[in-house]
Amino acid sequence: MTERKTNNSFLNHLRPRSVPRRAISILYTFCLGGLSFLAFIVLGFTGILLMFRYQPGEQNGFNSIVELASVVPYGSFFRNLHYWAGQLMVVSVSLHMVRVVWTRSYKPPKQLNWVVGVGLLLLTLILDFTGYLLRGSQESGAAATVAVHILNNLPGIGPSLAYILFGNPSPVSGSTLNVYVWHCVGFAFAALSLQGYHFWRVRRDGGVRPL
Amino acid sequence: MPREQEKLTVTNIENEGAEATGWSRRAVLRLGWISVLASGILSLWPITKYLSNQAGLVQTNSITFESKLEAGSDWYKVPNSRVWVKRDTSGYTALLANCTHLGCEVKYHSEQAKWLCPCHGSSYDIEGRPVGGPAPKALQRVAVQIRKDNTLTIEVNKPVGMDVRAI
Repeated sequence: MTERKTNNSFLNHLRPRSVPRRAISILYTFCLGGLSFLAFIVLGFTGILLMFRYQPGEQNGFNSIVELASVVPYGSFFRNLHYWAGQLMVVSVSLHMVRVVWTRSYKPPKQLNWVVGVGLLLLTLILDFTGYLLRGSQESGAAATVAVHILNNLPGIGPSLAYILFGNPSPVSGSTLNVYVWHCVGFAFAALSLQGYHFWRVRRDGGVRPL
Repeated sequence: MPREQEKLTVTNIENEGAEATGWSRRAVLRLGWISVLASGILSLWPITKYLSNQAGLVQTNSITFESKLEAGSDWYKVPNSRVWVKRDTSGYTALLANCTHLGCEVKYHSEQAKWLCPCHGSSYDIEGRPVGGPAPKALQRVAVQIRKDNTLTIEVNKPVGMDVRAI
C-alpha cells in the first residue's frame, strides 16, 4: 500500500470510505452521470467565454454569433465546443436516466435522488432550449413564439410567466435579454446547485465513488 | 474489525487492474489530472487571443464635416465627435478635445475664451495652450483636408503643429 502524499482533507472527505464493488464497474453505470457532469463543466467554461463576445437582442444576437464564427480567433471553436457539449449533455443525461431505470437504482433508499434527477433532466432540456433561442436565427424566433404561446395558455400567471422567461421575442429571433439572463445565470446556477445536491445524495446513499 | 475490512476494500480498488494491465486505478486518475492541467495550460494562449481580439470594433479615423464657417469664426464642435474646427484668416484648423492630462473631454467656453476640463480642472487658452491645472501640454491639433465640394476631412490620427492651416 502506498502512502498518501497529499493531505487534502476536503477532497478526502468527498471520497467515501468504501464503495460496492459492482458500482465501480464501467458496464454498470457506463459513466453516464460523470459524462454529463463533465459536459456541464465544459459548458460552464465555454459559456463564460461566450459571454464576453455575445450580445442578446433581435439584431445583436445573430450578429454577434456571426462575428464569433467568422472574425474572432478561436471563436467558432469555443462556440462549437459549447454547442456540442450541450448536445452531449442532453443525450448523456437521457441515457443516464435509462440506466438508472435499468439497474433499478431509483428504488429506496434512492427514491428522492430520482426525483432530483428528473428535475435535472428538465433543467438540462430548458437550458438546451434557451441556448437554441439565443442563437437568434429564424428558427429560434419561431421556437420562442411557440413557447410564449404555450405559456400564454396557462390560466392566470401564463402571460406574466411568458414575459418573465422570454421577454418579447421577435418572430425572427428568439434572442432576448430575459432569455440570456435565465440561460446564463438562473437555470445554469439552479442546475449547478441541484447537481451538487444530487452528487451528495449519491455519495450518501452508497453510490459510485466520485473521481 | 469492520473498519479494517473497509480499508482493505479501498486498497484493493486503488490498485485494481495493476497486475493484469500494468495500469492501476490511481495511475489512470493521475494521467487524467495531468491531462486536465495540460489542456488548461494549452488553452491559455487561444483564450487570450479570443478575448483580446478587437476586429469587431468599428474604428474610423477620419471625420467628414460640411463646413459653413466664415473666416474668423470661433471654435465649432463637429457633431458626434471630439473634434472642434475653427476657420481663421489663414485657413482651417482642427483640434482634439482630449485633455492632455488624463484624456477627459474638454469643452470650449467662448465667454472666457478658454478650454476647461471637467475632471481635474485643467484650463487652456483659446489656442489650446495650458494655462492652469495639471495639463502638461497643449491640446492636440490634427490634419484637415478641404475637398472640392468644400467639405472637410479631419484625420484624427494625424497630429500636426499648432500653426498648420488648411487653405
